[in-house]
Amino acid sequence: MSSDPALVDSPTVEVTDVSKWFGPKVAVSAMTCSFGPGVTGLLGPNGAGKTTLLRMLTGLIRPSQGTISVLGVWPRSKPGVYSDIGLVPEENAVYTHMTAREYVTYAATLSGIDDAGAAADKAIEEVALEDAADRKLAGYSKGMRQRAKVAAALVADPKILVLDEPLNGTDPVQRLRLIDLFRRLGEEGRTVIVSSHVLDEVERVSSRVLAIVDGRLAAAGDVAAIRRAMSDIPYRVRVETNRPRELAARLLEDAVVHGVAVDDGSLLVETNDLSALGNHLAVAAKRAEAIPTVFRPEDASLESVFRYLVRRR
Amino acid sequence: MRAAWAIATATVAQVLTLRRAIIFGAAALGPTLVYLLLVSTLSEEAALNRLGFMILIVYFPLLVPIVSLIVAAGVLGAERRDGTLSFLVLRPIPRWVIAAAKAAAAVTVAGGLNAFAALALTVSYSVESGTWDLVFPLLVGGLLASIIYAAIFVPLGFFTDRAVLVGLLFVFVFENGIVSALRSLSPLSPWRTGFSAFLALAPSDLLTPAALANTPVELISLSRAVLWTAIAAVVSVAAVALVLRNRDLTSE
Repeated sequence: MSSDPALVDSPTVEVTDVSKWFGPKVAVSAMTCSFGPGVTGLLGPNGAGKTTLLRMLTGLIRPSQGTISVLGVWPRSKPGVYSDIGLVPEENAVYTHMTAREYVTYAATLSGIDDAGAAADKAIEEVALEDAADRKLAGYSKGMRQRAKVAAALVADPKILVLDEPLNGTDPVQRLRLIDLFRRLGEEGRTVIVSSHVLDEVERVSSRVLAIVDGRLAAAGDVAAIRRAMSDIPYRVRVETNRPRELAARLLEDAVVHGVAVDDGSLLVETNDLSALGNHLAVAAKRAEAIPTVFRPEDASLESVFRYLVRRR
Repeated sequence: MRAAWAIATATVAQVLTLRRAIIFGAAALGPTLVYLLLVSTLSEEAALNRLGFMILIVYFPLLVPIVSLIVAAGVLGAERRDGTLSFLVLRPIPRWVIAAAKAAAAVTVAGGLNAFAALALTVSYSVESGTWDLVFPLLVGGLLASIIYAAIFVPLGFFTDRAVLVGLLFVFVFENGIVSALRSLSPLSPWRTGFSAFLALAPSDLLTPAALANTPVELISLSRAVLWTAIAAVVSVAAVALVLRNRDLTSE
């Protein structure tokens, strides 16, 4: 059992001290991690370096430094390994002149599958696109294109599936179905890597999470550990009310509030527990005879959470 | 082989949309329409001179390069720009197969459009004159030039979004400007290679010196034209294969 939560015991994908820079901009910095069978979530705000890391894993771009190994080889050096890798890229890019069936069959043919048509039918069924399979992709919604891309990635039955924001643009029903599919693929023993900037999304897909921000690994482990780490983060919440001073006095009566500042007629409240603050605010407002009109965390974006984790690490 | 065929056919469909086919088809018929307007009242010899003029001034130096470079610049360039390149390259296919299939698609579309123009032009002359000896030479000349342009502009399209602009500068400034003034540079001009092949195959008694007066071309032999075309094609496929293997395939 590896002691570093960023590493797994039986890796199929290994990232060792990898950095990538584009001119002066560092996109990924000295990252070491590994992926094995099951679903791993890659979590981070937009621009964190998730897509760059996934592109390096698949060999689309080369690391500026460090090594990447997929099933024991650097994919670019042995294209044969691509029969075991499926990628759903972030870009909303498909061949719009093709139907979904042609698109997935094309993927199957390029992957060397003998009965490409049958494989395509099966993959299309997996993503529930049968009814629209003979329509041109040009007329597809973003969510439907996502599903077509997932089908094209699945058609060769890959051992490793790399999914870059695969739930973007999908409606709730499609989302549930895709999440079930990804979990099932992981349970079958495939290495499934799913990136997202939404914690709840990642939590529903995978139990293991790697959090990335500013190109660095911010946290790794199971979702509960990431949530625990996040619970220590101090939040600032803006509260607008008709009686700010009276409400401020009442809020300070509970330990969940670390401090209150009156700022331009509204309150800036410091706390470690947003949920408890919400409950306390209702009680405090009643006592102060105040009417809160706005309750808005000032810095609770995922990006700020991750920045905090990076500083702590 | 199945993969190469699939890439080539998909690329042809991608490049030759209906709208493009109509525009390029109309452009390909342009020289023929001009020729037919010019020759309606002329003698057979004068008509032949006009045909030579259309071949030397319109078909080879303008139509073939422009059609070829626009088509060729798009076959890999559009994949990279549209983000579909990953779909293509993350497959268990040797890189040279992808490069060769893409080049073949470019040559099929550009060569096909240029062949259509060549057929329209020579057939309209042949129907009037009863002489069909220029059809094959013009098809071969156009095809060789199309291959060389594809060899240059398929890789260039991968590197820059402005490949078409670079290509137009190459055609108008370098080929039709500098090379016209310095005829010793003719081997560097793809359309002149195609034109040389055309002249080498055309019956010498048909295209009289008058028809090709002041030809701005230092002619090369047919074998050299074919050799040069083959070298350009092989180097191009090798270069694209190397790029697909060694360079980043998406930008930041």
